[in-house]
Amino acid sequence: MSTGSESRPVRFEAWRLGVIYFVVGITLTGFILRLINLQLFNSDLYHTRAVDNYTTEVSIPAARGIIYDRNGYILARNVASYNVVVTPANLPVDDSDIQRIYRELSDLVDVPVGGPVTDESLEEAKLFAPCVPGPGISQLVALQDTLAPYSPVKIQCNVSEEVARIVEEKKVDWPGVSVEIEPIRDYPTGSLTSHVIGFLGPIPASQEEELRARGFIPNRDKIGYAGVETSLQDILAGRNGLRVVQVDVAGQEIRNLEPPITPVPGHNVYLTIDTRLQAAAQATLEEEIRFWNTYFGRVRISSGVIIAINPKTGEILAMVSYPTYENNRLSRFIPAYYYEQLSQDPRKPLLNNAISAEYPPGSTFKLSTATGAFNEGVVDLDDIVQAPGQLLLCERFNPNDPCTDRNTRPFVDYIFDQRPEGFGPLTFLQCIAYSSNVCFYKLGGGFENEIPQGLGIERLQQYARAIGYDAASGIQLPGEQDGLIPDPQWKRINTGENWSTGDTYIASVGQGYVLATPLQVLMSGATIANNGKVMQPTIVRQVTDGDGNVVEVWFNPQDFTATEFETPGSYQISPFTPNMKWDITVEPLIQEYSCDGPYCTLTDDFKIVKPETVQAVRAGTRRTVTDTTFGTLNDLFTDFPIAVAGKTGTAEYCDDVARAADRCQFGAWPTHSWTLAYAPFEDPEIAVIAFAYNGGEGASVAGPMVARVIKAYFEIKALDIAQGAPPP
Amino acid sequence: MERGLSWRNFDFLLLGAVVLASAFGTVMIRSAIAGNEVLQPLISRQVYFAILGVVLIFLLASIDYRYWISLYRPIHLVIIVFLLTLTGFGQEAFGAQRWFQVGVLFLQPTEFAKIVALIVLARYFEVTRDQPRDLRWMAGAFFRAIWIIGLILLQPNLSNVMVLSVILAVMLWVNGIQVRQVVFALLLGILLLGTVITLSVLGVQIPGMQAYQQERIVNFVVPNPNDTFGNRYNVQQALIAVGSGGVSGQGYGYGSQTQLRFLKVRHTDFIFAAASEEFGLAGGLLIIITLGLVVWRCIRAAQKARDVSGAMLAIGVATLIFFQGAVNIGMNLNLLPVSGLPLPFISYGGSGLTALMIGIGLVQSVVMRQKELEF
Repeated sequence: MSTGSESRPVRFEAWRLGVIYFVVGITLTGFILRLINLQLFNSDLYHTRAVDNYTTEVSIPAARGIIYDRNGYILARNVASYNVVVTPANLPVDDSDIQRIYRELSDLVDVPVGGPVTDESLEEAKLFAPCVPGPGISQLVALQDTLAPYSPVKIQCNVSEEVARIVEEKKVDWPGVSVEIEPIRDYPTGSLTSHVIGFLGPIPASQEEELRARGFIPNRDKIGYAGVETSLQDILAGRNGLRVVQVDVAGQEIRNLEPPITPVPGHNVYLTIDTRLQAAAQATLEEEIRFWNTYFGRVRISSGVIIAINPKTGEILAMVSYPTYENNRLSRFIPAYYYEQLSQDPRKPLLNNAISAEYPPGSTFKLSTATGAFNEGVVDLDDIVQAPGQLLLCERFNPNDPCTDRNTRPFVDYIFDQRPEGFGPLTFLQCIAYSSNVCFYKLGGGFENEIPQGLGIERLQQYARAIGYDAASGIQLPGEQDGLIPDPQWKRINTGENWSTGDTYIASVGQGYVLATPLQVLMSGATIANNGKVMQPTIVRQVTDGDGNVVEVWFNPQDFTATEFETPGSYQISPFTPNMKWDITVEPLIQEYSCDGPYCTLTDDFKIVKPETVQAVRAGTRRTVTDTTFGTLNDLFTDFPIAVAGKTGTAEYCDDVARAADRCQFGAWPTHSWTLAYAPFEDPEIAVIAFAYNGGEGASVAGPMVARVIKAYFEIKALDIAQGAPPP
Repeated sequence: MERGLSWRNFDFLLLGAVVLASAFGTVMIRSAIAGNEVLQPLISRQVYFAILGVVLIFLLASIDYRYWISLYRPIHLVIIVFLLTLTGFGQEAFGAQRWFQVGVLFLQPTEFAKIVALIVLARYFEVTRDQPRDLRWMAGAFFRAIWIIGLILLQPNLSNVMVLSVILAVMLWVNGIQVRQVVFALLLGILLLGTVITLSVLGVQIPGMQAYQQERIVNFVVPNPNDTFGNRYNVQQALIAVGSGGVSGQGYGYGSQTQLRFLKVRHTDFIFAAASEEFGLAGGLLIIITLGLVVWRCIRAAQKARDVSGAMLAIGVATLIFFQGAVNIGMNLNLLPVSGLPLPFISYGGSGLTALMIGIGLVQSVVMRQKELEF
């Protein structure tokens, strides 16, 4: 209690002031302890967080490698695309100046100034992706101002060089407005090479983490989505550089904190493709398809393939798949409408039919049957095989099934309609040259006493695999299919039925369950042409660094990676070295079967394909061109000075499309058209396959295409030699 | 000059502490707004206000504080008129009306109102010094203060309402409020505070409080660990600034949090963090110790005062400086929730600095006219 009066000095109870001193002391001591705790004991933690605050990594994009054809013609390159951008922080202070800039800029780049900046208009502007027209300049800049005022916002993308130059000139009058140069992939050959080159797309979410760890920046950097852009992504992409910079709270860069890491540009890739031959092949394919579709007045041939290869080196000289797509339309970004259009087209333009589609190979598959039958001694050069117009054969699902009318059906030769008596007696070479189905039924499945022991499905599978069927080739293109050569076990597992004798007959002529990609069919022919040497087909000729030095690169088809060092299972793609996978006349690849009547069992012995066998089959393919009576390719190369050899194919099919159109009538199935040829016969340097979906007869649809491409090849070669270029 | 006035009793230590704090404040303001051309005039403005303040200290020291006590009625009236006008014509800033523009200067009558409240209360406790310390005595004090507190509450400016409430409480305490009443008030206060916190956390809007104020309380009581850029951002950045300063500091003008502007409102609310970052432990300790020194000298003046009104003025100024400083430093160290109370003498703010200098001048006036019987 206070007891003071006016004259007396004030006296407070001392303990009450003591309490106040105590509170003040405790509080200040608490602060000091807290300060010591923060600054002495936890300083490192907070210092790290302060460094985190101001440290930013800026990725410097690496230039993607250029893709050339074998002659150095550019197939994919980077071109500058100009975007007009505004950096909000650099705009003038005065609002009327800003409005003037907006108005003048709007007139130039044709983007509206935009009304007053309101919450609603900003919300609406947020819905638009960069470069998509819609929001006004005011809204775009206002949005960016709240997000990152020191980073530019795109106002108009892909403006002309002229507009870009005007903006650059006005830099002084328009502070804050500038031109951003963005590299865009450009494909000078466009749809001609789109299946080989592919296109780029944004980094998908599934790969974001992995690619981010390797220095890629999602939403900026792109990766290959198809073709060699995908398969050689690692080689083409290069390595992004890095700057570690200090930034302030608004994101403005203050200085480099560490010496910058300069970007490593991607390697340049030279393909084995010859653009001239590619163009010739595409023109041939498209003209042929257009001709037949016009002739029939409807879309008869919906897709087709032409591939040309050097059989001795495995270099793919041309690879055309119809229908194709325009990869330049996908280069800036992948437009939804175009992608929809491509993916909903039943002809599947995005699919590279050369490697990603499987078809019955038809008579072109007879090369496998012929090789096997000759090598196994089923038939010899002097033997005569009777080839009537049709064979009546019974379907036996078990060796002891009796032959009755119910399970007996005719196996018809294609010539039956014109010549019911068939080809008559044929030699082995004539069987190949005339492509007699009856002959190959007999060789593959045996026939009564004439050929008591045919090749059989097990051994046919062995020979087909030896010349390139039933496995992906390992070419540097994504999406390759491996085809199918069936065997009894496969049939039991997949259809629940026993293998029948009829299955063997039709497999012998490349029908039934047999499926192959056009590249596999081509490789079988190239193997025969190359005297039994199976080459690794390759699309890459060499890889060079930025200075033009050839770099060593290996490609691993198993995990689909390109590396600058050898990995198990990989093959060298640069500098160019022909890679032989195996030589069927040297390596014992054929597993022996011990056959007792229809029962065949595997033994542990392996054998080679005799060189005579390959020579006999080669002779058969040559006779296809030279035989004037029934040689299936005879009329196409009559005047051609260079010796050509080949094999045609007319493959019956009944897929979902044909079934839907009710075209699968017994005995009159729709047919794919195939032709395979190589030249010169003695020392082949080109092998070509042509395929036309629902094309009809091989010799009349695919045959002319092959002939034109082979002729174009030799014309180009003559031109090159005339110009003094070394022969390829 | 009155007869018998002795400058011998003028508290030069207090003056020194105040001048040191103001000078250090100006130095830190300069560093905090470096690079911002728009804010550059603030430095010289703060220097002018500091000089004006020192002049005011000497002026007020030479005038007997009892003149102001006797003139409490007109002074009270004038400030009430100002506060009333403010609710009508004050500028809208951050949802609260606290400014009064005179030319280029934004005056904050609230800052001066706090000094006026001290005078009004000092006069009350002087007059009632012999009354029994009953509820009627307490109600009288409350009634004297309610005008200013009420008008400040209307702005709304809860922080300064709290400042004035604490001043009132301390004055009641020193003047001998009964302990059981204190216990009762404490219980009531804890209950009230608990209710406010609980309701805020539950997201119930309390009448009379702004949404942002409740949000601040919630952020302090239950921080959202993922909220790096929201309301907790400023406090987090202040902690980083203080911690990264370490013992030796980043160096004047080299604090990354301050210079790269990660620390917000660094020349007012978070100037303590800026000083701690750039000067390290020394900077923080300097501020805390100076604050303690000023408070100690003011309480000492209260002890030496010749009458109750003088003692109340001194104790009021001490409470004002201590409470504002403690709340501000506590916020910088994330020990207390965010409020807009500046750091006395150091934060930028002309009105606040001037008002505090007037307060110090009054304390000097009290201490110079201390009890005669002192040897």
